[in-house]
Amino acid sequence: MTARLAMRLLPLCLGLACASVLAETIAIVDAKIYTMTAAAPIENGTIVMRDGRIVGVGANVEVPAGARRIEGRGLVVTPALFNSATQLGLTEVSSVGATNDQGVSEGPLGAAFDIQYALNPQSMLIRQAEADGLGRAVSFPTSSGAAPFAGYGALLHLGDGAILERARFAMFAEVGGQSSGRAGGSRSAQWQLIRSALDEARALRTGSKPGTPRDSAFSRLDLLALKPVVEGEVPLVIDANRESDIRQAIALARDYGVRVVVKGGIEAWRAADALAAANVPVIIDPSINLPLYFDELGARADNAALLQRAGVLVAFRINLSIHTSFNAGFALREIAGLAVANGMDHHAALAAMTSNPARIWGVADRGGALAPGLDADVVLWDGDPLEPLTGIVAVFLRGREVSQSTRQAELSERYRPRTPAPTLPPAYRGPE
Amino acid sequence: MRAAIATCLLAFAALPSGAQVPESPRSAPPAADFLPSSYRPLPREDVVIAGATILDGIGNRHDQSDILLRDGKIAAIGRNLARPAGVRVIEAAGRWVTPGLIDIHSHNGTYLLPIVYENPPTWDVAEVSSPNVAETAIEHAINAQDPAFSLALAGGVTTLQVLPGSVTLFGGRSVVLKTVPGRTMQDIKFPDAAPGLKMACGENPKGHFGSKGQAPTSRQGEVAMMRAAWQNARDYRDRWRRHERRDADGERGGREPPARDLELETLAGVLDGEIRVHLHCYAADDIAVMLSIAREFDFRIAAIHHAVEAYKVPDLLAAAGTCAAVWPDWWGFKMEAFDGIRENAAFVDAAGACAIMHSDSPFIGQHLTLEAAKAMAAGRRAGLDISRERSIAWVTSNPARALGLDDRIGRLATGFNADVVLWSGDPFSVYSKPDQVYVDGALAYDRNDRQRQPVPDLLLGHPAREAVR
Repeated sequence: MTARLAMRLLPLCLGLACASVLAETIAIVDAKIYTMTAAAPIENGTIVMRDGRIVGVGANVEVPAGARRIEGRGLVVTPALFNSATQLGLTEVSSVGATNDQGVSEGPLGAAFDIQYALNPQSMLIRQAEADGLGRAVSFPTSSGAAPFAGYGALLHLGDGAILERARFAMFAEVGGQSSGRAGGSRSAQWQLIRSALDEARALRTGSKPGTPRDSAFSRLDLLALKPVVEGEVPLVIDANRESDIRQAIALARDYGVRVVVKGGIEAWRAADALAAANVPVIIDPSINLPLYFDELGARADNAALLQRAGVLVAFRINLSIHTSFNAGFALREIAGLAVANGMDHHAALAAMTSNPARIWGVADRGGALAPGLDADVVLWDGDPLEPLTGIVAVFLRGREVSQSTRQAELSERYRPRTPAPTLPPAYRGPE
Repeated sequence: MRAAIATCLLAFAALPSGAQVPESPRSAPPAADFLPSSYRPLPREDVVIAGATILDGIGNRHDQSDILLRDGKIAAIGRNLARPAGVRVIEAAGRWVTPGLIDIHSHNGTYLLPIVYENPPTWDVAEVSSPNVAETAIEHAINAQDPAFSLALAGGVTTLQVLPGSVTLFGGRSVVLKTVPGRTMQDIKFPDAAPGLKMACGENPKGHFGSKGQAPTSRQGEVAMMRAAWQNARDYRDRWRRHERRDADGERGGREPPARDLELETLAGVLDGEIRVHLHCYAADDIAVMLSIAREFDFRIAAIHHAVEAYKVPDLLAAAGTCAAVWPDWWGFKMEAFDGIRENAAFVDAAGACAIMHSDSPFIGQHLTLEAAKAMAAGRRAGLDISRERSIAWVTSNPARALGLDDRIGRLATGFNADVVLWSGDPFSVYSKPDQVYVDGALAYDRNDRQRQPVPDLLLGHPAREAVR
């Protein structure tokens, strides 16, 4: 049995046993630490966590007496990962409709659709994502009763306890050739609908009676939902891939003075300077170098590198539908690695799944980096996190170690090859 | 000429050489309607790649070694090889060499990007009009201009199998292709590769047909339809055998041959061992049932594809000589995929069965060694000792074996086709890329030479593809 396997089988933190280590002080010593607050990692650093927060990180931090000490020599520490577009908590088995709550196809909820009430903290996908080092995620709605708006998404903070960190934290909309059918068949109608809705939301007086305003294409419910967008309180996240739509998103941000984030952004490299100048962040899957749809003809493998060079704030998500939510933490590493293989700086790629999303989604004062006072969301790796051969040694979320004993891990343990071969059927093998 | 001879050889494969009277007569007419390959290797020169770390695909690793490509074949591997006059030398210290990668599950050329869902749809992944479309052949739908082929080549893939999708029980014939550019499917068709038959079990067929109120609506319905089809194929083969026997005995005299049935012809080809079965199947029970059907009708399944629960029944796969072509990390998207684990390939491999990493995606199809890396990493964490030289087999010699081409591709050995990839570094690193890809000894792709980077017609001249100034 390898040392690594032995470490994996130790009941580090399983279920209710976690509660007993609530107030534990933990120190990882002598590791290579990517704080994300500096351009380069600390080569031999120490990080100390207590009460769910980082209390010290640096080259010369002392380990407090009584702290649990984890030897980090040869290992790598990063903040927990941050996925900027998933359906975590909103789906369990894609083909089983009853487990899917990420969208509605009809009904009175358009922009007012809000996925927060469906979030399932018990989702096995969340357990797997946590074990894979994911600390935060944006869960977004896929469709509402009134295109092109999809509704409100939620910001999740994983780890023991409530996962909903912020509800109604961003409004989502989708434009482009693949979705224009729901607006009648032209993406121009999609843009008109968004602009008109923002116009009317701005004009809406909240004191007036309920009911649909006269001569309006939008319900009062939806216009009320858009008020925080026009008032600049929450960003409008627009799914757009074609260059022309990305430029329309920039124009909309300028014309209405609203905060816009572009999601998708396959052709964003073609509008990189404009995005940077307008401070419009972009959520991309950097590995997409083939056009899945006509809006993506400009797909290229160095999209992320070109955006980084132009000064655009970039955060990562995974396009492949299975990885989007089922490997929401695990698959981030590979796409980040491919971004680096195609010209993005290693540090920038790490930032795109840690500190950048924290900035974009308004939680830089709490996470996405390793600094005193920030959440103790920390991952310990046995190598470069972007490499497929690297494994996780430990994950800490809110200062508590996350169980590696996911359902997949239990299946693996049950079926791993054994000599001599077991005499009882597999169902008799497994954790107590 | 070579292609014509090859077709004839295929047709008469069951005949002992020189015999006029067949001992076991061919059960069905030859597959003369299938399109012969017009593939010609690209212009080539002899090449020595020197000083590299070489993984031969069958478990061996040679450090600081050379490989000689001559007349389209591997001529030698070793340290400090003698360099024939006129040979081109590629200094490769610090770089790695592997066999050309083989993707056994691709929809390139049919899952045509960009997808246009309007009328008529442009993709031809599967003929879904009936649960049994064994008479169809995916090679009739391949668009060789698909950009996915060039990207696969740039990702180190030199051979791939395109198969029909997995909505039908019998999906039709698959085809093995090279990733070099061509105007037509025949330009890139792998010469003399045995055809395959795509099949599917489990949720997909009954989900599709059952939702329309058609059979099958259940797994038991699927199996009944499969067994009935195989029995019909047996009967068809027996009719043809009787006909051939009468013919041989000179008894035919005016008797008409049996009616030709293209669907049963394909199934009979499986029973004769000439067509290899590639079967989409996820759950352990379904895999076991499929293997038992194969035993009942005395044919072998070359590979179970996706095989998400292969790790639960690796002994059954090993005993049947059936490979499992899997992903390292897809799970959860349907009930039969819910028990997917990342150690799947490693556990199958450890049980002595044949593990293969496949893509089923034009994106993943560019990074097959990363799929193998993820699978290797999971196996190592579970305590298995898996080396790079072992896991490279999952994307080279193992798929070659499942395709019946392991006498010419999938390994770096003297006499094998010179399908070779020179990597910028460790092929299992996300940062490595193929620097050069050789197909039949010709440099088909060179990362540093624009003249050796094929650009498909679709991507020519579009403003969105213009380089950033």
